[in-house]
Amino acid sequence: MAAPLSRQKLLREWKLYFFIVPSLAVIMGFVYYPAASAIYHSFFQWAGGETRHWVGLDNFRRAFQDKVLLRSFGTVSILVVFNLFQMIPSILLAVLIHRLRSERWQYLYRVMLVVPMIVPTLVTLFIWKFFLDPNIGLLNSLLDFTGAKDALVSLDHFFGWGVFFAGSPIGWLSQPKLILPSLFIWGFPWIGAISVLMFLAGLQSIGLDIYEAAELDGVGPFRKFFYIELPLILTQIRLNLVLLIIGTVGGYGLQLEMLDLFGGPDGRGMVPGLWMYNRAFFNGEFGYACAIGMILFAFILLLTFVNNRYVRIEK
Amino acid sequence: MRDPAVRLSTLRRDGSKHVLILFFVLIALLPIYMMIEVSMKDTATFYRNPWLPTSPTEWHWENWTYAFHLIVPYIANTVFVAVTGTFCSLFLAILGAYFFSRHRMPFSGILWAGFLALMLMPSVVNITPLFMVLKSLKMLNTLWALILLGVAGGQVFNIFVLRNFIDDLPRDLFEAAEIDGASHLQQVLTIVIPMSGPIIGTLAILSFLGIWNDFLMPFIVLRDPGLFTVGVGLIYLDGEYVKQWGEIMAAYFVASIPLIVLFLFTMRLFVRGLSAGALKG
Repeated sequence: MAAPLSRQKLLREWKLYFFIVPSLAVIMGFVYYPAASAIYHSFFQWAGGETRHWVGLDNFRRAFQDKVLLRSFGTVSILVVFNLFQMIPSILLAVLIHRLRSERWQYLYRVMLVVPMIVPTLVTLFIWKFFLDPNIGLLNSLLDFTGAKDALVSLDHFFGWGVFFAGSPIGWLSQPKLILPSLFIWGFPWIGAISVLMFLAGLQSIGLDIYEAAELDGVGPFRKFFYIELPLILTQIRLNLVLLIIGTVGGYGLQLEMLDLFGGPDGRGMVPGLWMYNRAFFNGEFGYACAIGMILFAFILLLTFVNNRYVRIEK
Repeated sequence: MRDPAVRLSTLRRDGSKHVLILFFVLIALLPIYMMIEVSMKDTATFYRNPWLPTSPTEWHWENWTYAFHLIVPYIANTVFVAVTGTFCSLFLAILGAYFFSRHRMPFSGILWAGFLALMLMPSVVNITPLFMVLKSLKMLNTLWALILLGVAGGQVFNIFVLRNFIDDLPRDLFEAAEIDGASHLQQVLTIVIPMSGPIIGTLAILSFLGIWNDFLMPFIVLRDPGLFTVGVGLIYLDGEYVKQWGEIMAAYFVASIPLIVLFLFTMRLFVRGLSAGALKG
């Protein structure tokens, strides 16, 4: 960190401001100005054109009575809980790779992890949609082949879910009750190459000698995980969690492409971002969409605050 | 570790770990396998045998020619957006990070706070007004809009990471350069950029991926099929009523080729950079 400048030096160094101007201009124009415009327009009835009507807090009042929106916040909260589980394989994988004794294999596995990143996100999404297809999808064929489907059908009889039937293929994306489970299974085993590499970076400080000492003391693999490895990557885990949650709460691409503009059958997959997109670009209610955006922003701020407050990590 | 006997024994002791890791890694690789395998089949073969590859004599290369003609123009557009966007984004970010790192100027504290505050702001909130901004700038349906959005979206993160890095560079270097009469721009070009090569590389790959993988903004901004990026093109392809899975999978694969090329050349840098804790957060 540089020291504050003396007055004299400042007069000579003022040109340094030119370095920040381009970044600042871009951010002002394409982030801050739209944000301010969103706040402003959330008080208007606005179809996107020149004419707009001041409606005060009506958009917000409407939002809090909008059943679709309220339900979508419930859905997105469930998706956030899913995130917690979906992080586990990445953590386990990082620890497993780190525990390998051969550096050559460690490097090879890292490379293999990065390979799936060559597939564009959208393509991965479409391929998963294809996996979940009722007639030709991988998941249904696998369930049929292993006989797991019969088990699901009998469980269905027992609990009375009404989603799995013996004669017909499972409609993962067409059965309203299966939409949330499908959104959970999507992307299994949820390995994020970048997260795993970041966890590995955190684990690096544990040398082989620590493992050998732990083994001499008879520390089992599970205790090694909880006492040696986990504490070292908590910072990375938390950073990852924050990024995942912000991505999930604000995201709607997954729902838009897997399901449709209305969140699939019965709107089970509707999330706030998608409803905002839907109102703005399907219905032309830009003012109302801005109000939804504001509420979403408040929701994300609250989650970040909770995360900072209660998921505290001692460094 | 060179001794084969030793290597074999460590492999055996780690056996269960290898099995578990391979389980995860192979499932993660499954979409790529499906993509390649289905892209070689015509529709009839696909319905008869969706999972196993066919013999090379029966491969249907016409799927690939179809996919190439369809996707290559989209790829050209996307490469233009992603390369220009990444380059501008990083150049501006390096200058910005240098500003914050080099001297503590008046107002730099406030500006820094202004940048950090954006980390909390989800970009989705901005989509609606952003669309109107682009409309009033007459930039709807242009690739430049996507470039500008890519630059704006990446600034905060890139400046944040680069600043932490430049802060750690030895101050003496800058002072020596200053005594020799180097301007700030010269200091950036001769000290900062050469010394932060790996981190700039890693950030460049990440911003390239970010721009490349975005399909929501292009879908809103672009209307003219001649300007479509890969994402938008694939969305329209997915919307077709009768699906020729062989052609679709070939198109998916062709859409992945630029990233294959990118990773072929930068894999080592990327893996090493991230593993060394380039992004401490």
